[in-house]
Amino acid sequence: MTRKSLKLTNQLGLHARAASKLVQTASAFDCQAWLEYNGRRVNARSIMGVLLLAAPCGSELELETSGEQAEDAAEAIAELVENRFGEGQ
Amino acid sequence: MSLALTGIGVTSGIAMGRVHRLTPGELALPEYHLEAGAVNTEVTRIRQAAQRSERFLGEVMTRVSGRGSETARDLLEAHRLMLRDPMLIDATCERISEQRINAEWALAQQSEQLQEEFRRLDDEYLALRREDLEQAVGLVQRELAEQPTTDIDARIPHHLDRTILVASELGPAELTLLSQRRVAGLITEHGAPYSHAAILARSLEIPMVVGVHHALELLQEDEEVIIDGHYGSVLAEVDDSLRRHYAEKLDATLRHRNDLKRYLGRPSLTADRQPFCLHGNAELPLEFKRCLDARVEGIGLMRTEYMFLEENLPDEESQYRAYSNAVRTMNGRSITIRTLDAGGDKLPAALELTRGPNPALGLRGLRLSLSIADAFRNQLRAILRASTLGPVRILLPMLTSVAEIHQARQLIAECREQLRNEGVKIDPDLPVGGMIETPAAALDIESMAPELDFLAIGTNDLIQYVLAVDRQDELVSHIYDPTHRGILELITRIVEAGRRHDREVTVCGELAGDPAAVRMLIGLGVHHFSLPPAQVGAVKKSLIECNSRRCRELVESYRSGNALPDGTDLLTALAERGC
Repeated sequence: MTRKSLKLTNQLGLHARAASKLVQTASAFDCQAWLEYNGRRVNARSIMGVLLLAAPCGSELELETSGEQAEDAAEAIAELVENRFGEGQ
Repeated sequence: MSLALTGIGVTSGIAMGRVHRLTPGELALPEYHLEAGAVNTEVTRIRQAAQRSERFLGEVMTRVSGRGSETARDLLEAHRLMLRDPMLIDATCERISEQRINAEWALAQQSEQLQEEFRRLDDEYLALRREDLEQAVGLVQRELAEQPTTDIDARIPHHLDRTILVASELGPAELTLLSQRRVAGLITEHGAPYSHAAILARSLEIPMVVGVHHALELLQEDEEVIIDGHYGSVLAEVDDSLRRHYAEKLDATLRHRNDLKRYLGRPSLTADRQPFCLHGNAELPLEFKRCLDARVEGIGLMRTEYMFLEENLPDEESQYRAYSNAVRTMNGRSITIRTLDAGGDKLPAALELTRGPNPALGLRGLRLSLSIADAFRNQLRAILRASTLGPVRILLPMLTSVAEIHQARQLIAECREQLRNEGVKIDPDLPVGGMIETPAAALDIESMAPELDFLAIGTNDLIQYVLAVDRQDELVSHIYDPTHRGILELITRIVEAGRRHDREVTVCGELAGDPAAVRMLIGLGVHHFSLPPAQVGAVKKSLIECNSRRCRELVESYRSGNALPDGTDLLTALAERGC
């Protein structure tokens, strides 16, 4: 099991496009992935779960992955968040 | 005697045909408890239904790609992600086995719970996602009812060119399919002119009227109806004279359209060798291609409101993608991008809070943009960045004072400077023009013109403000008159100011797409027009065949009141052959 803290720095936070990218990334690996924010824990492979977090810019999220590719998945997701979902801001 | 229903016209076209009612109510949702041992069958059933729906969306997406509709693809992708979402299908399966209930019932329960969670967040933007969820669930429900959406042929006739489809609401996936079946026209009970489906209908040029209350109850299956998108009306109980009138209108339109194609390649010169210049209006990728086909000189009006529907407010990157795609598509031809012109009758959900007691006189156009400066900067930066790929001009909507132009120019300069520091070089002479569409701007054009690089007359709003008439209000819409002498007076002032200050004057309201009205405009000294690509052929023919001197004489005698007492007389005289 891998745990990581993520900080959202893209301007819009987890809006639709960012959420889709995150879900697609999490789904690309053989693992389970969970996100926790504001006392709410959701499956990171669920678009509605991620949207319902309604996490704005600046929020800190806890990522937990487990399974065969847990490490790789955590790294890929962290990288996506650090790169602001490829949005440039 | 015929029956007229009114809604809001999304496209200006006419369609005639027979009603087919697409009723989701056809799908009865059974609810029952399962026998022991039936759980696995039911779980398999819903998983397969979800897979089939997903495959169906995938197919629709590949077909959409050829048609260049990115907006539709994004929406379809969102639906697909929802179908794969464990919170939807996995959770439904759990309900099936835990409560021993059938798939339809479990899906309905799960969907309701998710809807409730979205509702609880009370977020405008998430409300839109709720619609997506509804549509994704609708696809699975149809599969479950053993009426797979892929068999749309079985449910509705294969050839829809004589069918007017009536539905409660339509999603982008359905609309795409219907357009491929060449549906004649669409009527929906709900929906707004700026909904996803409406935008698609406009870009695919399908006549559509939305917001026709109780259409499903009032219109009978197989009944003959006529849609007149221009007036947002649906005519039923059609009698002979009405049928003949519209059949002629429609027939003439179709014959005309083919006839007009041969004018597209001809030089833009009137019969007396006066040059004129036609630009296209476009927003979605498909429309840019249509403009290229119509051989316009460039895009005179790229509206940007549609981007502001999607999310709270669009970011710089997504706007940059749209603008840069447009610039690349036009391949060296210039594009005039109008900054957000929300407010009045078109207000994105994200900005609903800015609606005041009288939207037409409220926080709209450039005023609104200046009040949300961060979002405005994002838009300006995206436009400026796209301008490095080809000729781009910025157009500011709804001006009333020189101070607003200065503020906007100041912001543009700041963004340019910022981008320069980031290593992006922007042409310092990038033209910034303004829409002249309020009486204030038209009357004070002497002060405005020197501050702008070009002028665009928005005739729709100008007429509305000058005549104090809301055209959507049927009690006064007959007063709306583009030939009103007050309007012609203002257009003349703008044209003369443009000439004195050497500023190009373009008309980009609805008038620019009307073959008789453009002759009036050329008579007033306007030589630049920006219009929907579908109208370019007719307008070009009208201008090529007209004598601009004769047009001027007719307009002058009308304005002086010596002859042609009525505006309709003027337009009739202008429309005549040999004018």
